[in-house]
Amino acid sequence: MNVLIVEDEKGLALEIDEFLSHEGFTIEHARSKGIAGEKIFVNNYDFILLDLNLPDGDGFDLLQMLKGLKDRDDAVIILTARGAVDDRVLGLEQGADDYLAKPFSLNELLARMHAITRRKHKLESNDIAVREFRINIQNRTVHYNAERINLTKKEYEIFNYLVLNKNRVISRTNLTEHVWGDVLEINSDSNFVDVHVKNLRKKLSQFEAIDWFETVRSIGYRVNI
Amino acid sequence: MKLQIKLALYNTLTKLAIIVFTGLLILFSLEKITYAHISLRLKNKKDLFIKNLSSKEINQILNQQQSFTNYNILKEEYIFLKPIPYQAGRTSKESFSTQPRTIEKNTDNYLILTYKFNFDAHSYLLEIGDTMDAVIQLKQTIREFTLLMLVVALLLTLVIDLIFTKYLLAPFYRIIDRKLIKVNDPMNFDYAKIETSTQDFKLLDDSISTLMKKITDLFILEKQFIANVSHELLTPISIISSRLENVLLNEELQEDSENKIFASLKTLNRLKSIINSLLLISKVENNQFNKNDDIQIANIINEVYLELEDRLEDRKVTFENNIKYARSIKGNHSLMHTVLFNIINNSIKYNKEQGRITVTDYLTPDEYILEIADTGTGMSEQQIEKAFNRFEKLDTDEKESYGLGLAIVKSITTFHDIKIEVSSASDKGTAIKLIFNQQLH
Repeated sequence: MNVLIVEDEKGLALEIDEFLSHEGFTIEHARSKGIAGEKIFVNNYDFILLDLNLPDGDGFDLLQMLKGLKDRDDAVIILTARGAVDDRVLGLEQGADDYLAKPFSLNELLARMHAITRRKHKLESNDIAVREFRINIQNRTVHYNAERINLTKKEYEIFNYLVLNKNRVISRTNLTEHVWGDVLEINSDSNFVDVHVKNLRKKLSQFEAIDWFETVRSIGYRVNI
Repeated sequence: MKLQIKLALYNTLTKLAIIVFTGLLILFSLEKITYAHISLRLKNKKDLFIKNLSSKEINQILNQQQSFTNYNILKEEYIFLKPIPYQAGRTSKESFSTQPRTIEKNTDNYLILTYKFNFDAHSYLLEIGDTMDAVIQLKQTIREFTLLMLVVALLLTLVIDLIFTKYLLAPFYRIIDRKLIKVNDPMNFDYAKIETSTQDFKLLDDSISTLMKKITDLFILEKQFIANVSHELLTPISIISSRLENVLLNEELQEDSENKIFASLKTLNRLKSIINSLLLISKVENNQFNKNDDIQIANIINEVYLELEDRLEDRKVTFENNIKYARSIKGNHSLMHTVLFNIINNSIKYNKEQGRITVTDYLTPDEYILEIADTGTGMSEQQIEKAFNRFEKLDTDEKESYGLGLAIVKSITTFHDIKIEVSSASDKGTAIKLIFNQQLH
């Protein structure tokens, strides 16, 4: 899948590039509105990661231009430091698929991209398999073989996020932010994520040993598949 | 006191003073003038009398009597002659005095010319009197007239002054109302001039407009500053955090390095939270949010409860929702959510294990009151006073408190015109009241 990163901040663009390349995406860069406009006009992209503050204009203009083109299905994720509620609403109204306020976690970005892919391409199977467990993204359920496991909304979110970011340590901070959102003043160091993880593990381990669900000491969790 | 009334009173008082002064002056000079006139007349009469005097005449006058008195029918004037013991070498002397005299049972005040003289080796006392009644009556009339004038003039000027100053000051109040009171947001300031022919008010109007222009410029500058700071600070944080995440992808990373990188990410996250909190406060204080949502208070309490359910469970705190009224207010939904989230989150944070949080609401004729009470450690008077300041932290077991939660609450409640009251007893708990004015909300 090819991704266009429209970002004038070179350092950030390169880090996103490195992370997504590692995940198997093909990356192109545009450092200004002008260059991005030309690229978008010529090529189809699976994802356009769009910064709003560009040296030669507002990223919203690119969004409008894209929506004016025919037969295009590029998914747009707005990445911005503006963070105003109005911008978020405006962005989504104008057809952006998602909106991430800087600074964001690359894991979170990846999870959002996965979610968009599933939604857009209506994958034949909405299921992700983890050993004998199956996560159904659409119905937000988890099954073990045929049996449905009763998870709370938050337990599901945690499990889903860890699986999407499989084989990577996910810190509590990251997990908290994903599950509870960007809540100001919430204490990311508190152990209440742990309570949910503990319950989640209890429920999963009733079916089989889950040594692939690893606790990384003092940091967070990792799902090894 | 209003300027209008002050001006009217000032005018009335000056007029009062002028009229009283003129009245007194007229009365005084009138008395002097009439006195002088009567005296002159009395003197002329005396001279006439003396000139025509002969011993025969005196004898004739005093014929049968010890003294002689004569007066006209209306008793306005009289003349009186009386011999007195002889004193040789007496110089003729006249003097004036005002005295009551009784003539045929009528007592009146008379201006009297008294003249003692020698004639034919006899001494005589001559008195010629003229009644003062006319003068007193005139004085009385003038006094009454002056008083009447005074009252009428006062009332008339007072009314006219009030009406005139009201008309005169109307542009002033229009300026105050339109340019100062009704201005909530310098961005929407009405620069249209208020119509007035008074130069001073024009100056006031222009000065306010100039001032407002300056404030608006500063306001725009601050908004730009906030936008810039947010961009300029958050972008580098974003770069560092992405870079650290990429370093973590390296499989050969040592465990202790990995730990340090995670710790750094956590610190970065904290920095981000602080910047975002400060930005939120600045944006709220700069009125950059709309407040047109219809918000059901009870709904927000439920949303917050669901979000914090696990924290409540974790600390075994009971949450008691006693909301009775389906009260809806105009405001910003996400900001009000933040307010209640922060307050209830604090109630959990500073509660004791197995404590309780009670949410109650009351309705009074003027106010709707929402109270959130906990059974926590409570705060002292000084702590309450400082609780809403930025970066004010209470002693807490929690390691990561930024001390911005209540500062955010304060800025948002101020933005919504909600009054906030805190009452607390040590070791018994804290109650926070949000007071919504019925007229405003």
